[in-house]
Amino acid sequence: MLLLQQIANGLMLGSVYVTVAVAFTLTISILNFLNFTIPTLFMLAGMVGWSLAFWGLPFGISGPLPWPLALAGGVVVAIVASLIVERFTFRYLKTRYGDSTEHAIPLVSSLGFLLILENLVRIEHGSDAQRFPGPSADLTLSLAGIHLRVPQVVSLAVVVLLVLGLVWMMKSSRIGRMLRAIAENPDAAGILGIETRRVVPVVFMLTGMLCGLAGALFAVNYGEVSPQMGEDIGSKAIAGMVVGGLGSLWGAVAGGVIIGLIEMMTIHWAGADTVQATVWGALLITLLIRPQGLFGHHAIGKGKL
Amino acid sequence: MTQPLLKVDDLSKSFGGLAVISEVSFEVPAGGRLALIGPNGAGKTTMFNLLTGVYRQDVGTVTLDGEVIDAYPSRARIGLGMARSFQNIRLMPHLSVVENVMLGQQSRARGWRDFVAPVSAFGRSAAYREAEDLLASMNIETRPGDVVATLPYGIRKKIEVVRALAAKPKLLLLDEPAAGLNAVETASLRDFLLQISETGVTLLVVEHDMSLVRSLCTSTVVLNFGRKIYDGPVSKVHEDPQVLEAYLGPRHAGEKEAAHV
Amino acid sequence: MSGYWIGLITILSINVIFAYGIFLAVATGQLNLGGAGFQALGAYAAAYLAMEMDQPLFVTIASGMIVAGVIGFAISFPILRLKGVYLVLGTFAFAEVVAGLILNSDALGGATGLPVPTFIDWDVPAIAAVIVAVGVFWLMSTRFGLVVRSVHDDEVVADLMGVNVRMVRVCAFALGAALAGLSGALYAHAYSFVEIQVFNASLSIYVLLYVLLGGAQTAWGPLFGAAFFTLLPEALRDTLPALKEAVFGALGIEGAATPPDESWRFVILGVATVLMMIFRPEGLITRTMVERLRPLNRAPRAARAEAAE
Repeated sequence: MLLLQQIANGLMLGSVYVTVAVAFTLTISILNFLNFTIPTLFMLAGMVGWSLAFWGLPFGISGPLPWPLALAGGVVVAIVASLIVERFTFRYLKTRYGDSTEHAIPLVSSLGFLLILENLVRIEHGSDAQRFPGPSADLTLSLAGIHLRVPQVVSLAVVVLLVLGLVWMMKSSRIGRMLRAIAENPDAAGILGIETRRVVPVVFMLTGMLCGLAGALFAVNYGEVSPQMGEDIGSKAIAGMVVGGLGSLWGAVAGGVIIGLIEMMTIHWAGADTVQATVWGALLITLLIRPQGLFGHHAIGKGKL
Repeated sequence: MTQPLLKVDDLSKSFGGLAVISEVSFEVPAGGRLALIGPNGAGKTTMFNLLTGVYRQDVGTVTLDGEVIDAYPSRARIGLGMARSFQNIRLMPHLSVVENVMLGQQSRARGWRDFVAPVSAFGRSAAYREAEDLLASMNIETRPGDVVATLPYGIRKKIEVVRALAAKPKLLLLDEPAAGLNAVETASLRDFLLQISETGVTLLVVEHDMSLVRSLCTSTVVLNFGRKIYDGPVSKVHEDPQVLEAYLGPRHAGEKEAAHV
Repeated sequence: MSGYWIGLITILSINVIFAYGIFLAVATGQLNLGGAGFQALGAYAAAYLAMEMDQPLFVTIASGMIVAGVIGFAISFPILRLKGVYLVLGTFAFAEVVAGLILNSDALGGATGLPVPTFIDWDVPAIAAVIVAVGVFWLMSTRFGLVVRSVHDDEVVADLMGVNVRMVRVCAFALGAALAGLSGALYAHAYSFVEIQVFNASLSIYVLLYVLLGGAQTAWGPLFGAAFFTLLPEALRDTLPALKEAVFGALGIEGAATPPDESWRFVILGVATVLMMIFRPEGLITRTMVERLRPLNRAPRAARAEAAE
């Protein structure tokens, strides 16, 4: 029974990882860009949400906001920040010599943004964890002897809806077809009349939205936010994405859940200190044995941009 | 007749079921200047990639100077005496002119001593002097220390050939050496290549510019859709009905000499 | 010499050696985002030998270098099969696995860390840094350095020119790992204590940024990058409060101008990174720039294109 409970917890945990992993895999599959700002956007949404709920709008415009409104504000800030990242990382990318480190220019820029955003939040709010004044996390639901916290169940439902929506969008909508064309071949997409400059920001908007929502869900679920909250989630999401396979939406979903389960199993059998080794070990072993992951396409992330 | 320097026997290569080279055989005599021509997509660059080992042929053998080279990996083939240039200039952009040429000597480096031998300008090492001399003997109008990315196109084209020469090859494969050059630069390149040929290096040239082919090469092989359709002297190529058909389409074949072939 | 300068020279020397370790991999076109892992290996190898086995300084530091180098060599065969994003992730994951394993190892002190009995002053790291810098400059001027740079620029052509691309990459990666291990061993002795929390993901990111922002085309780049970003916070210690006061004064905000904490340094590093990637993605010090400054090359050029680098 305890094991079943752990599996249930792992699934719940996995759902947050899934959202962030989907954000990672989206930018990689469409833009061949490993966006290191993703964990930071996640953190930004949580911290801004907390700040709005605790202090209110800046410059004394308003007092503390109710928590759903505050979280919505956090999500909006994450989206805006993501668009700013696009403006400064992707827009200026030009292939000059085609040498082997050139494809990494946006990746390195995103590392720069990671430092900027995270440390600005630290300067503003300090490094301490803050209690998020959300709904009570103690509401539980008992199902066949397994206890599920209500916010977790709601998160899981939200994540499932998000992923289904995204899959539908990529498959059937006009913008989804454009994005897939860009993923296939950016030059050919340009020739077909797709304006890359206008479509690419959509990817970053989605990224910001996914990370923002994940951050909001995290804040509600755990009742605690901190400037460091992105690091842990980010690493688990990256591991999930790689295990599932770079560039595959369903791979990210499966990978996120698998990592959540691995984490819970590790804690169950070996203790929390071992999680770092097992989660990253899973990533490393996947990369060395089967780099394309469970569902990935081998081509993505390999060649030059 | 003496033994040919390069002998290509029945070479075939297909990518995903699409035959790019089919049963092509030809020979390049030692000291000769042979042009490999054909319409776009005929398989000329693929032929070069097969010869240098970038791709492996499905069927057929390549013999260089009497030795079958099919088993050698791409990086070993330059050491056998076969160096090449590329369709789009592929010099190392962040290396200086002389360093690019020294890279061409790489196939002659043996053992760890050669690897830790200094190659910089300060040491004026043997490798450096050799590369400088080679550049000077080829009348390259540039300073050896210039970084390649800053140089004009025509000069980079020549430097790429010199880099290949630095390997002391018996056979030089040139992939569209005149592409992107104007008439003056092309004439200068032709004299440059004739000068190389006089030193005993055999040339195999892929080229679209027929005036260059006529003035540079003695014989030619024409490919079309991966098949050899002509093998003979350059002077007769414009009379061959199959070649005319390949370039101009069936209706024009035999109408008149193709001015731009 | 005062304690302030001793501390500064020590950390500067360690960072320079560390940056050269990552530089060797980056110079072949392989982004190594696992620097902290190799540094941790060197630091813990030295700390363990000094603490548990009472080995002399020379042995512990050499062992730190060798352990990191050998593990780097072993891991380079599978890991360098990966390319692009996969390689970045693979090296990153390697560092995390190393940290995770050390965290769970009782022999290495786990989460509490290991004390290191033999203390070294600033002179040992400084001498080591000079030797490493001279060594890397020498290495980059040899044929090995030439092929390293060629592999970075175009691996297909390098292969056709007769370069054993894989061997060059493995050698550069392993040698770089050994240098990172050396920096770790020096760190262990200079600070008399190692704890795994120091060797975190951020450290790997910083050192890679030092190299990329300084420029990975010449051996000047990492030297400059590491020195600049190590000394920057010291420079900011005085200027930033003044700047803050000026800004606050202009805005009419009354507030205590607190001395800058670590965070500002990283914000500036981040801003520098973003700006550099836009305006000068090849790093501050490029090959062209070095050639221009070289006296041998300072004559009129007949056939120079006006095209910029």
